[in-house]
Amino acid sequence: MSLRVCSIDDLTPGEGLRIDAVSPPIAVFLTEDGEVYCLDDTCSHQDASLASGWVEDCRVECPLHESTFHLATGQVDQPPAKRSVRAHQAQVLDGEVYVELSTAEPVLPPGVRVP
Amino acid sequence: MIIDHLDDPLPGSSLRPTPTGAAYTDREVFAREQADIFEKMWNCVLRADAISSPGEWKKVTVGREELIVVRTRKAGVKAYYNVCRHRGMRVCTGDEGKAKKLQCGYHAWTYALEGELVAAPNLTAMPDVDREEYGLKPVHVRQWLGYVWVCLAGGDSTAEPPDFDTEVLGEVRTRFGQVESIDNYGIENLKLGQTKTYDVAANWKLIIENFMECYHCATIHPELTEVIPEFADGLASQRKNGEVHGSSFGEDIQGFTVDGSAGVAALPAIAPNQDRKYYAITVKPQVFINTVPDHVIIHRMFPVSEQRTIVVCDWLFLPEVIEGVAEGRYDISKSVELFHRVNLQDFEACELTQPSMSSTAYARGGALVPSEHHIEEFHTWWQSTLALLESAEMHQVRVG
Ligand code: FES
Ligand code: FES
Ligand SMILES: [Fe+2]
Repeated sequence: MSLRVCSIDDLTPGEGLRIDAVSPPIAVFLTEDGEVYCLDDTCSHQDASLASGWVEDCRVECPLHESTFHLATGQVDQPPAKRSVRAHQAQVLDGEVYVELSTAEPVLPPGVRVP
Repeated sequence: MIIDHLDDPLPGSSLRPTPTGAAYTDREVFAREQADIFEKMWNCVLRADAISSPGEWKKVTVGREELIVVRTRKAGVKAYYNVCRHRGMRVCTGDEGKAKKLQCGYHAWTYALEGELVAAPNLTAMPDVDREEYGLKPVHVRQWLGYVWVCLAGGDSTAEPPDFDTEVLGEVRTRFGQVESIDNYGIENLKLGQTKTYDVAANWKLIIENFMECYHCATIHPELTEVIPEFADGLASQRKNGEVHGSSFGEDIQGFTVDGSAGVAALPAIAPNQDRKYYAITVKPQVFINTVPDHVIIHRMFPVSEQRTIVVCDWLFLPEVIEGVAEGRYDISKSVELFHRVNLQDFEACELTQPSMSSTAYARGGALVPSEHHIEEFHTWWQSTLALLESAEMHQVRVG
């Protein structure tokens, strides 16, 4: 079931937007090339919002430490984060962003729980 | 031969007093200068092209504060206090760097280049923390002449800084005058040919006073006086009422170089009467601008203590000259050498003056000869800015 999370106009190229209406929160990214991606917002290493990370070459660098995550797969490249985060299918229809939430278990850092 | 001294002073008025020695040695005076002058006025801190791409930052010191000056992605050049809003650690360490964000190394509070707090461990669990309010504390920034100018006035950016257009631009433009406009030099488009940093063991006011007069020129600046023989009359480019006088090159002098040989390509837009002339002004409290037909020399002062001042001197030329230097078509070394020598000569004089400032023999201060009388304007400004008269214990450092 697809979820409408925001409109494309809410996004800034090269940045992420945190959506905390879903739990755990997700981050929607618009790349400089105009592609839209969606990951879990919380880094797997510590409680940091990936939406505030640095978007470059289809990866987002966690704002706190050096790990980066692939925007399409959630795959992590280097420590300190060791576990990949969940990626969600995102698509744009008529200027609205829809997300198909992953059914996998979320990968959350120590101390963070889904309420 | 009878020489008619038209401007002869009235009998008994040749010499005017300077501030007393304590003005140059007293720690409390220096602390007040830091607080009431350097932390209140516009300071020229950095060449804007020293941080040319987003994320490049440099540390500078203004008054008692350490600042980070950074080129942001979205908001041009910004400057912040180098103080973490969490528990105060220095955010940037080292003198310069390039980063995607400014991150404190203690608990990883992370600030965007634009200043706001973007991330911190567990920050999403503290939604009441305002990202702007806990962003790096900004100071006012302006760019002019290719330099970044900052003002700490008020201690936070909501307090109004002194108006840059009247305080800095207005004053400089008025002094240069309409026709001989400083704009003709196109300083903002010039490139850095050379920079030198001088660590001078002297109070900053001694350096300003030295720069304002040329009574010393014939004695300590043989090369400069060779290039500008009129300096032998003791009159500087800076005159009474803040006026600027274009000081002419000697007849057989080809350029503003250490041996009077030709300089490099002239700045294209200078007025005819700016040709073959040297102009100098002081932009209070810490900048000197010197212009000649083919280059511009800018000094920035950073007072460190009542007896130590860092002076950074930049030599600026046309971009094609700088490219030509790399390709061997131009040589700026003789141009640079002239004022480098002047700097060394001036700073040596200042350093040999500083120790006397605490001597009993100088307790009541010294004297200004007529060609130095305009330095009184600086002293009056300094005194009124510090409002020394209001404070009884400061009486001993009054002018006169
Ligand atoms: S919190 Fe993301 S890498 Fe450490
Ligand atoms: S002092 Fe900077 S993060 Fe704690
Ligand atoms: Fe001098």
